[in-house]
Amino acid sequence: MAAHKTGGQSARKKVQVSMVIRDEVERKHRAGVNSLQYDPVSHRLYSAGRDSIIRIWNCKNIKEPYIQSMEHHTDWVNDIVSCCGGKNLISASSDTTVKVWNAHKGFCMSTLRTHKDYVKALAYAKDREQVASAGLDRAIFLWDVNTLTALTASNNTVTTSSLTGNKDSIYSLAMNPSGTVIVSGSTEKVLRVWDPRSCAKLMKLRGHADNIKALVLNKDGTQCLSASSDGTIKLWSLGQQWCIQTFRVHTEGVWALLATDTFSHVISGGRDRKVIMTELRATEKCTVICEENAPILKMAMTPDQTSLWVATSESTINNWTITQKDWQCGDYCEDAMGNGGGLRTMGPRNSDPAQKIIGGAAVRHCHVLNDRRHVLTRDTEENVALYDVLKAVKVVDLGRVDFEQEVKKRNKTVYVPNWFNVDLKTGMLTIHLGQDENDCFSAWVSAKETNLADNDAVDQKVNYGNLLLQALLEHWWRPLHGDDENEGNVNDGNGPTHTRGGNPYFSVPGHTPVIFSEVGGRTLYRLLVRDAAGETEGVLLNETVPPWVVDIVVDKNLPKFIKIPFYLLPHSTSGVKSLKKDRLIANDFIQVRKVAEHVYDKVLGAGSDSGSVTGAGNTVSGGSPAGDRTNADSNTDNTSLAEEKVELLCNDQVLDPSMDLRTVRHFIWKSSADLTLHYRPIK
Amino acid sequence: MCVNNGRNMLLRMSLRLVFNLHIQFQGANISQLERDIGSDQFPPNEHYFGLVNFGNTCYSNSVLQALYFCRPFREKVLEYKARNKRTKETLLTCLADLFYSIATQKKKVGSIAPKKFIARLRKEKEEFDNYMQQDAHEFLNFLINHINEIILAERNQSRPAGGKGGAGDAGSPPEPTWVHEIFQGILTSETRCLNCETVSSKDEDFFDLQVDVDQNTSITHCLKCFSNTETLCSDNKFKCDHCSSYQEAQKRMRVKKLPMILALHLKRFKYVEQYNRHIKVSHRVVFPLELRLFNTSDDAVNPDRLYDLVAVVIHCGSGPNRGHYISIVKSHGFWLLFDDDMVDKIDAATIEDFYGLTSDIQKSSETGYILFYQSRDCS
Repeated sequence: MAAHKTGGQSARKKVQVSMVIRDEVERKHRAGVNSLQYDPVSHRLYSAGRDSIIRIWNCKNIKEPYIQSMEHHTDWVNDIVSCCGGKNLISASSDTTVKVWNAHKGFCMSTLRTHKDYVKALAYAKDREQVASAGLDRAIFLWDVNTLTALTASNNTVTTSSLTGNKDSIYSLAMNPSGTVIVSGSTEKVLRVWDPRSCAKLMKLRGHADNIKALVLNKDGTQCLSASSDGTIKLWSLGQQWCIQTFRVHTEGVWALLATDTFSHVISGGRDRKVIMTELRATEKCTVICEENAPILKMAMTPDQTSLWVATSESTINNWTITQKDWQCGDYCEDAMGNGGGLRTMGPRNSDPAQKIIGGAAVRHCHVLNDRRHVLTRDTEENVALYDVLKAVKVVDLGRVDFEQEVKKRNKTVYVPNWFNVDLKTGMLTIHLGQDENDCFSAWVSAKETNLADNDAVDQKVNYGNLLLQALLEHWWRPLHGDDENEGNVNDGNGPTHTRGGNPYFSVPGHTPVIFSEVGGRTLYRLLVRDAAGETEGVLLNETVPPWVVDIVVDKNLPKFIKIPFYLLPHSTSGVKSLKKDRLIANDFIQVRKVAEHVYDKVLGAGSDSGSVTGAGNTVSGGSPAGDRTNADSNTDNTSLAEEKVELLCNDQVLDPSMDLRTVRHFIWKSSADLTLHYRPIK
Repeated sequence: MCVNNGRNMLLRMSLRLVFNLHIQFQGANISQLERDIGSDQFPPNEHYFGLVNFGNTCYSNSVLQALYFCRPFREKVLEYKARNKRTKETLLTCLADLFYSIATQKKKVGSIAPKKFIARLRKEKEEFDNYMQQDAHEFLNFLINHINEIILAERNQSRPAGGKGGAGDAGSPPEPTWVHEIFQGILTSETRCLNCETVSSKDEDFFDLQVDVDQNTSITHCLKCFSNTETLCSDNKFKCDHCSSYQEAQKRMRVKKLPMILALHLKRFKYVEQYNRHIKVSHRVVFPLELRLFNTSDDAVNPDRLYDLVAVVIHCGSGPNRGHYISIVKSHGFWLLFDDDMVDKIDAATIEDFYGLTSDIQKSSETGYILFYQSRDCS
């Protein structure tokens, strides 16, 4: 027995900030549906999406079935179980957490962070209100549901039992209603059985040749059905510890099982996209209930046993009718089975589903444009869209246009360093910002050229990562200095005294989820942009936000400029005598015209300053790091003059004065060696 | 002759002095080697010539001897020599000159100084431009790749520049060279996502297979381990295109096309963090005279090839930067040992001495390092 703090945080790893660009209400599943639960009391169907959202559907109003979304996970929801007579729902996710939900109202009550890898499977013992969770970390934890639902912020310690012995990742789990037997299936290819009351190992069952993806136990825990990636379903006797029968009704891996209470029939589905009902007691009798468009992940039977809800790796959930005839599987099988392997040719009973819960499209491809701000995407319905990552919004739906052509059309000859990554695991755009200050703050751009500031304003350099982080944490209430907090000012009409959040240019949609997670792994905290002002949220943010983010969001320190070293030489055709090779350093966003100005002023000696360039370590002025956020360009007049007098070349190509140094290096210099520029006076 | 060889090598050195003296006393009449083989048994048109060491060049000598006795390779190099009259000097022309000079010696046995080859090698690759001991496998790898590049470059030169659209264009792989034809095989790596169970496979070419060595095992075991299923999990998950996410996956490497000459590199130099350097693994690994591969893919082109052992590069000593390289080769049914400029006939039974050590106590060992197996259907 081990105690776990539900909100506990393990030793600090590097923390990464991410966000999801999405609609405020996502009424349709965006990607596959991993699990289903049917509540017989309210006739609600719960569906666990790969888009990280659990949705509640009203099966009695199939025209408008959407009731509500339950959002708090940040990765695939892999399994759900309904417990406490439908009052609560427990979910397991690839974000490594298990969550407890109020199913009626649809909010998350608590989060269990005991697992260290994807949580793949749950099992439920109804009579004891006990839930077990298991996953790729090879661990199984047992939870008392009544304790879980009673957790509060202050009373957040849960005791759990863990079942040990698994040698490989667990993909399936089952418990009988009375909670006397629990069985797990893993890539180890054996079924392991325990008594959850004593946590004693009972047995191992060998026989499958591949991963075990689904399990069902009968009521008294004497028999077990297992479905495997080896394409078979096996019926086991736990008392005798042997395999009673092997069913080979599928042509590929079997991923989902559903058995009747009496273990008279089993319904199975998997990679071959067929839902097949098999009679367990009679000789091998089976019937194909339907054939879906995608591999089958989960099935749920309606309480009257007349239809079946089927979830697949596509977003639509279908309801298929089961007739009285189907229960007597014989009709279809006798001749089919007679001529060996005839099952493949056996047609499904139903050609169309009785009802559909229509799903949406998942974003499957994306291309980050050269400006490192816009992203083009294509979804499963071939629709192309343009997103603005900086503002966390979709800019435009382009419809079914040619993706590659659109990329070509919209890519400009500009080089901006990478400051984020795009992740499409949920079928929506998850943006992971750079993992530290170096990566996240690598992109400095001109506010004017990126249309953030008016054209007539003084040009300021802004940092994309900086602006986005400020916008994401705009509502985060945080006193500038803990001790300076002045109670008296609270009610002066402007709300509580705090640092003015956000950035001067834009805000992001308030519904945008912000996620803090360990780099490449476990989610630490998720909240919506607009909720950051809350008291609880503030406390959690204070615990979670990494110092380098606090530094720029709260303390308003500016990230460092990125320097680029380069050599400046007279061009061979310029007639200027070659001085010694000068190494200069400038900000990477400096435009070529600034270098021209430097040449005109300092090197050719036309400007006010005489003297030639003195040695290495010179800085080309303009947007110099000395300035703060008002990095106004000075001496504009001189610039235009310099441009007419001097031209710059790289690899013998004359440079556009408005091109910046990093773009020159990336598109024209194309080498990892230090950039070399040549100058030539214009006659 | 190498320095830092330890006692074993000192012994060898003194033996050699005696041997050299012996030769001088015998004069040019008949050598010990010829006597051992028997003059009536001596294969016609065959020459057994040692290669003089220029200061730690045994890594090169041992590999060159092994390659010389890979008949398909020797024939192609001599063919190249015959076709290319005085072009620009490359490592390949130097190698061709060396092989030619061995093959056209008046005497049957003796030694030869690969001076020009070593000089060229030192020019071509900075790492070899010194008097340090080098890794024989690195050298073999460099040599084969470099020769291949030379052939490709010469082929491109001889073709008109406008001749695009033919071989060598992006998309279609270039027509194979004779180096490809001799040494190149194809490995296929199959990865199965454990979530969607989609198998994705990727082919890659190889010039040699590099296998890990375990104590008291055989080459067949090494190859089996090479093709063992590896599970990509926890922090090393597989990015599945189908699932658009990181999932667990099972991966294995199998041979899809078996090469004419299979070069097997036994990974005997392991980096040990504790010592912060590479340590020699002297484990006993049996290499059979005949070999068949069992780790072939289901769609393999020629999975039934039967291989004969034709040459072995042997590392003697205790570590990667110390010790000595020699080679044993099979020629006309008997086995010869080449130790720099020295050549001895050996009994096939003595090959066992180069399998390795069963105990870890002894530091120094003489162990098979690179094995050359030749397919029977090409000889």
